[in-house]
Amino acid sequence: MKTTIAVIGAAGRMGSGIASKLAEAGYRVLLAGKDQSKLADLSIRIREKFSGADIDTLDCSKEASWEADIIILAVPYSKEIEIAEKIKDVVTGKIVVSISNPLNQALDGLTTNPSTSAAEELANYLPYSKVVKAFNTVFAGSFYKNILAGKKIDSFVASDDKEAVSIVSNLVKDTGLNPLPAGNLSVSRTLENMALLLIRLSINNNYNGMAGWKVLHP
Amino acid sequence: MYTILQEQILKRVKLTKEEFALAKTYFIPKKVRKRQFILQEGEICKSLAFISKGCLRNYSVDDKGEEHIIRFGIEGWWISDLHSFTTGSPSMSSIDAIEDSELLLLEKSSYDKLCAAIPKIEHYFRILLENTNSAAMKRISDLISVPAEERYLNFLKTYPEITQRVPQSQIASFLGITPQSLSRIRKDLAEKK
Ligand SMILES: NC(=O)c1ccc[n+]([C@@H]2O[C@H](COP(=O)([O-])OP(=O)(O)OC[C@H]3O[C@@H](n4cnc5c(N)ncnc54)[C@H](OP(=O)(O)O)[C@@H]3O)[C@@H](O)[C@H]2O)c1
Repeated sequence: MKTTIAVIGAAGRMGSGIASKLAEAGYRVLLAGKDQSKLADLSIRIREKFSGADIDTLDCSKEASWEADIIILAVPYSKEIEIAEKIKDVVTGKIVVSISNPLNQALDGLTTNPSTSAAEELANYLPYSKVVKAFNTVFAGSFYKNILAGKKIDSFVASDDKEAVSIVSNLVKDTGLNPLPAGNLSVSRTLENMALLLIRLSINNNYNGMAGWKVLHP
Repeated sequence: MYTILQEQILKRVKLTKEEFALAKTYFIPKKVRKRQFILQEGEICKSLAFISKGCLRNYSVDDKGEEHIIRFGIEGWWISDLHSFTTGSPSMSSIDAIEDSELLLLEKSSYDKLCAAIPKIEHYFRILLENTNSAAMKRISDLISVPAEERYLNFLKTYPEITQRVPQSQIASFLGITPQSLSRIRKDLAEKK
């Protein structure tokens, strides 16, 4: 059975990058979001690059998640729980990927309590799903330029479900990034702070989103 | 989504509301569109699929590329490649959707955990597997010894709903005869009336 992935918020900066790369890698990808015309544009762009893409657009997050095996929430942190409410009945036993960073308005801090994270909050709402943190430490531009200073950008993956970590690590690899399993879901607290730091560095040093994390080792 | 599953289980074992609520958490809800596969020959059959809505077929393909339908499944039935599911070996058959369908998938590990958590469910599956086995034995012996016309009549009697929903060519394949033979049988039967 071909793996079907629903990208909710597919028309956004992160969603469109992830969805395009996964479609190119041969997954069946359901492009979901609020705005059907933006999704239609995206599907045209994907097909122009990759005519064999197995993609469909859906304006209903629940329908997309019901049909999918894996669900990627490429939406703002503030919308995650609202969407979780909608899809909760159809994601039992499925992998749900949180890519969000709970940034404050000034982009200089997180709005979550230090004893938790966006991903753990999501997992509390979806106790029967396998919530995985991934993609949150990479900028949207990384899906188009995945090598910086001669090194492939790392993308950390965290979850309490080991099998889910390995499945999502493969997805990360298929988007052109270097997956790095980072541990249990609570590691998301660190990962969300790492994204914040990267954003601060990018702003302070005018990286213009051309930056990424790389763990060096021999 | 779970109503038919609950009814089917309750027909065979007495499950409390709480037990069913717990049982539900082991199933993966999955929608499939017409013609989509849930299993392709050579893959390992990872789950038992309960059909909440729709119609699917399980079939194999011979060296000539001819499809042979092993069984159909509609609302309230389970469908899987049981041999592959239980042994973990590559399946020799495929399963695809004849209509847009809604499934509840029970993966092998969840199946084991569910049976351990609720022994009544294990009992339910025992009855289910006994029935599946005896139906399969009957199908084999019918195929060997019962004339095609009689098998067709039995099929109409046993599966009136499937007859309405599935093309004649697939019913012929299920009966192990050519579509031409089936239309001849249908013509003969119509003339006898
Ligand atoms: N941008 C980055 O470089 C980056 C990096 C790492 C992580 N992230 C995280 O990735 C997530 C998405 O960020 P982004 O930059 O891609 O944002 P974005 O460009 O604004 O995209 C967000 C998408 O979500 C959709 N959306 C919003 N509410 C929705 C709802 N209720 N139902 C369905 N779709 C909805 C939006 O649709 P409309 O366009 O119709 O409003 C939009 O397509 C955020 O959580 C962010 O923290 C971003």
